[in-house]
Amino acid sequence: MGFLDQFWQLTIDGLMVGSLYAVIALGYTLVYGVLQLINFAHSEVFMLGSFGGLFAARGLLPDDGSVPGGLASVGLVAVGLGVGAICGGLAAFTLERVAYRPLRRRSAPRLAYLISAIGASLFAVNLAGKEFGRQNVDLPDLFHNGTVFSFFGADVSTQSLVIFAVAVAMLIGLDRLVAGTRLGQGIRAVAQDADTAVLMGVNVERIIIVTFVIGGLLAGAGGFLYAMTFNASYSMGFVPGVKAFTAAVLGGIGNVRGAMLGGLLLGLVESYGGYLFQASYKDVIAFLVLVAILMIRPSGLLGERLGRAA
Amino acid sequence: MRRRPLLGAIALAAAVTLTAAACGSDSDGGSSADGKKTITIGFQGVLSGDNQQLGLNALYGVRTAIAEVNADTSSPFQLKLVESDDGGSPDQGPTAAQKLIDDSKVVAVVGPMFSGATKASEPAYTQAGLLSVSPSATNPALTTLGFKTFYRVIAPDTVQGKAAADYVATVLQAKKVYSLDDKSEYGTGLSGALEPELKAKGVDVTHDGINPTKDYTSEATKIIAAAPDVLYYSGYYAELALLSKALKDKHFLGKIASGDGSLDPQYVAQAGAAAAEGTYLTCPCGDANTDPKAASFVASFKKVNKGAKPGTYSGEAYDATLALADVFKKLGTDVSRESVAGAFGSVNFQGITKTVAFEPSGEVKGSNVFVYQVKNGAIAVLGNTADLIKS
Amino acid sequence: MSAPPAGQPGPGGQPGPGGAATVPLRTSGNPPGSVDASGSAGSSGSAGGPARPGWHPAVLFTPARLRQLGVLLLVGVLAAIVTGPTGNSDKPLQAAKDSIADVRIVLYLGLAVALWVVLVLGAELRGALERVSAPVRAPIGAAYGRRGGPIVLNLVLLAIAIVAPLVVSTAAQQSMVNDIGIYALLALGLNVVVGYAGLLDLGYIAFFAIGAYTTAYFTSQTAMPWHAPFVLNPFFVFPIALVLAALAGVILGAPTLRLRGDYLAIVTLGFGEIIHLVANNADNITNGARGAFGVPHLSIDLLGIDYKWGIDPLPYYYLLVVIVVGVMIAFGRLERSRIGRSWAAIREDEIAAEATGVATLRMKLLAFAIGASVSGFAGVLFASKQFFNPQSFSLQASFFVVAVVIFGGMGSRLGVVVGAVVLQGLAFYLRDKVPPADRYIYFGAVIVIMMIFRPQGLVPSRRRRREIQLAEEGIGAADSLGVAPTGGQQ
Repeated sequence: MGFLDQFWQLTIDGLMVGSLYAVIALGYTLVYGVLQLINFAHSEVFMLGSFGGLFAARGLLPDDGSVPGGLASVGLVAVGLGVGAICGGLAAFTLERVAYRPLRRRSAPRLAYLISAIGASLFAVNLAGKEFGRQNVDLPDLFHNGTVFSFFGADVSTQSLVIFAVAVAMLIGLDRLVAGTRLGQGIRAVAQDADTAVLMGVNVERIIIVTFVIGGLLAGAGGFLYAMTFNASYSMGFVPGVKAFTAAVLGGIGNVRGAMLGGLLLGLVESYGGYLFQASYKDVIAFLVLVAILMIRPSGLLGERLGRAA
Repeated sequence: MRRRPLLGAIALAAAVTLTAAACGSDSDGGSSADGKKTITIGFQGVLSGDNQQLGLNALYGVRTAIAEVNADTSSPFQLKLVESDDGGSPDQGPTAAQKLIDDSKVVAVVGPMFSGATKASEPAYTQAGLLSVSPSATNPALTTLGFKTFYRVIAPDTVQGKAAADYVATVLQAKKVYSLDDKSEYGTGLSGALEPELKAKGVDVTHDGINPTKDYTSEATKIIAAAPDVLYYSGYYAELALLSKALKDKHFLGKIASGDGSLDPQYVAQAGAAAAEGTYLTCPCGDANTDPKAASFVASFKKVNKGAKPGTYSGEAYDATLALADVFKKLGTDVSRESVAGAFGSVNFQGITKTVAFEPSGEVKGSNVFVYQVKNGAIAVLGNTADLIKS
Repeated sequence: MSAPPAGQPGPGGQPGPGGAATVPLRTSGNPPGSVDASGSAGSSGSAGGPARPGWHPAVLFTPARLRQLGVLLLVGVLAAIVTGPTGNSDKPLQAAKDSIADVRIVLYLGLAVALWVVLVLGAELRGALERVSAPVRAPIGAAYGRRGGPIVLNLVLLAIAIVAPLVVSTAAQQSMVNDIGIYALLALGLNVVVGYAGLLDLGYIAFFAIGAYTTAYFTSQTAMPWHAPFVLNPFFVFPIALVLAALAGVILGAPTLRLRGDYLAIVTLGFGEIIHLVANNADNITNGARGAFGVPHLSIDLLGIDYKWGIDPLPYYYLLVVIVVGVMIAFGRLERSRIGRSWAAIREDEIAAEATGVATLRMKLLAFAIGASVSGFAGVLFASKQFFNPQSFSLQASFFVVAVVIFGGMGSRLGVVVGAVVLQGLAFYLRDKVPPADRYIYFGAVIVIMMIFRPQGLVPSRRRRREIQLAEEGIGAADSLGVAPTGGQQ
């Protein structure tokens, strides 16, 4: 049972979780890039998206408890992803309107946003607990979760393949969006210099809200992927939220590719660390790695500018 | 000076909302119409935060018992409940306990629930001479710390740990056990009691701890790599459900076992019937959901609590409350904090989870540990460990 | 909460030149008492233009007014859901549906409409109210932060602090020690780091843990498996914990303080989590999740004074009052000293401070160490008062201390203490008023509302008030930590 025997299996486990961290981390990083603030309520956007996707997919499942297959599975996952993304986007939009925008209009100090986000997060978590109950909610299997292929003796299950593939597709899509479209140009312009962007005719308010919504769409879809594997609950957001924030900083906050890299790396570190040491120390190891990396590269692995790096 | 046009308005709205909510919650504690005297008991437990479902399980058990007593026309009194939330944490324990102590009508308390909150609260209860009966605090040390008015209707970890070790080693014939705990006070207490017993029987024990999380993927890899005959998880059902799912996805070949914290129908619901199938659960209690004797409890529990099903600690809280009512009946007109605290030690009440009777230390007498197994998607009782080991 | 008036181009609430430029625009486009959440339209409205009566239809039905009505109705629906029945995951939308279908919705919507009417008609009324309240508010508002000025105000507040516990229940006294007193002390310490030096520390509770575990180590042979070979009175642990926590602050700070803003935040967060997890995992040292039971209460036997603290919260409360007042006085001197001015310089502009000869790294380390030592001090008090386990040192607790500091008004000593009183007092008040499971819904809502309407905190420091004022007028940013987030300024 040496570490090397399990290395590939742990790598696959780590990449699966890491890709979810990466998807959530993008929300932090985008908002940070544009506004230079940590959106601490992003974890609740994730949670709400997760519930939305879960309820939608569960509602469409056959009543007899059988596991669907083929196209039905693909459809169910697609619906879950879509509804999750929409819920996440709506939540992020509402969040920006309620907890951030009024503060921006009063030119509040930056820490006020942090506290406003913590308040919004408390509100959303506990309201979700009230509405959806405080039990974890299971999503029955949407497809047969067999082994797709083996890889140096490590099994890759359908589930982890689906999660990894969808997450990577979203990451690439976002990267293209930011790097290659006119909207992305606007986002980068605001990230680089908001005042000048205004003079160039960029509608900063619109860019801000669009950034929030994009982050919300990703987090919502990521939330559905998460719920598919790990159940959903009202308090599910906090831990992945902190992890994703860590991942974003690890890669260089404000940097889209950095968030992806940071997420995957964090997933791997946790997976290896939990195996090598007592599992309850895996967060300690993850944070120590973070500190070590920041000592060597004070602005994260890939540096921090959304404007420059993407 | 800047003006805030909406500030006053929102403050007003908030005040109105709070008042409305407050009125709503006040109105449900009515006085009895038929002239019976009203006895007030308190409930201290974890009603907010991440573990609040466990608190609700117990609170609903207490409410069920109270509803039954109040519906009983032969009962000479009506019971009234005052709730106090400690969030399961020691910080809020003293305040929560003090709230019940301050209310001079409260003559006994069901709670506190978590061992940590119990240690923080009990000095105040002892000083006030207010009886507290915990449905769920299993730390073995609690009855040795000089808390004079502390009783619990649940056996300490040591009792369950020993019986579980016997069962795992003898009946399941495990040579190699992977003992995983959730690093909570409850989990480490149980695994700490289980492991020495297993080792004493010559079982090869691997220990690991993992804080409650959702992601058990790599932990499952680690467990499978260790290839144990039995995985014993010391923790609660929500995490065991996720762990079982992860293990099933990775085709774990060993058996899964866990303790009373996981004996909850929600375990099967959250893991999915397929992943939960075959799991062994030990508990120093009769389970309300599977015991035919307790069918009426399940029915009235659902009726009182809007369809909720009994869960972990519901039965214990129900028994604790009925045992209190039993003492009140015997005391007749002389029901005070002092008399209740004095009389409770000699109670002998047949509850649904066990016979409620106490050692002088406040420990519940001779607990039997039962073993349950998930069969066809439902938790079924296998029997008393002592009997199972003999046969 | 309202959107910018339709047709207004560009950055609605941008601080800086853009924000200032839009004010006259808004005034001409909107009637007096416009619902702008920023409130700036209200003040300029009374100054310019002939005021039309509030009930004039043209005033009543402007898009902004209608939007405001919409927002209020939505808030009403939300309030109905928040106070409505509890649901479960089998029927996820049932509870919300029930809340809306209930007759109470009429009450809430009625309230929303009534509020709207009050707001519409209230413009003139508000002016009158402000004229009435101004003589009261102005001195209180201005008093704090002025050098040596508000002695009377301070004495009144102190008197209130001394008398207050005598008129409340013992449970409230418990809360005044555990929640308010301890958190006031923690907030005062964190205020040095966040408010004075402008460093965001999200793992501050770790030093509190260090203080608490130090106490357990030195004062009891039974509380933890790992203990000192001798037993000390908790009073002697105060200086030890102070030094140890300060040392931990330096050890954490020395390598990390080179990091800027949010990188520091995440590293401190990691540090807090590491201390928490190690305390929880190291069964053989800290007793792990079982916690440290049996730390003796404080006792004093010196110069003929023999006193023992016990379970009764009141003596602890008065001890805390003495300590909090002492710390406030000490920090007041510190704030006005050369060191305090260095911190202010670092906060405003680190590069300029460095250029003018401020030893920035050393000053930041000092802030970290002083802040940490106060936290360690509070830890000793907490440990000797009652049982604790690692749950007391969670990440959420760290966030909460930050919330207290910002909510109260960072940089203001009185502010952060008031923040602790108000936030924790609110939590205590809600305990009996709403179902416990719903408590934090209300709590969260109050925090958001508060930050929307008073982002500078309850009692902002004089310096910060001026900074925010300047920022609103478009002269400079609020401060280094508070570079108003509009992007890309560094």
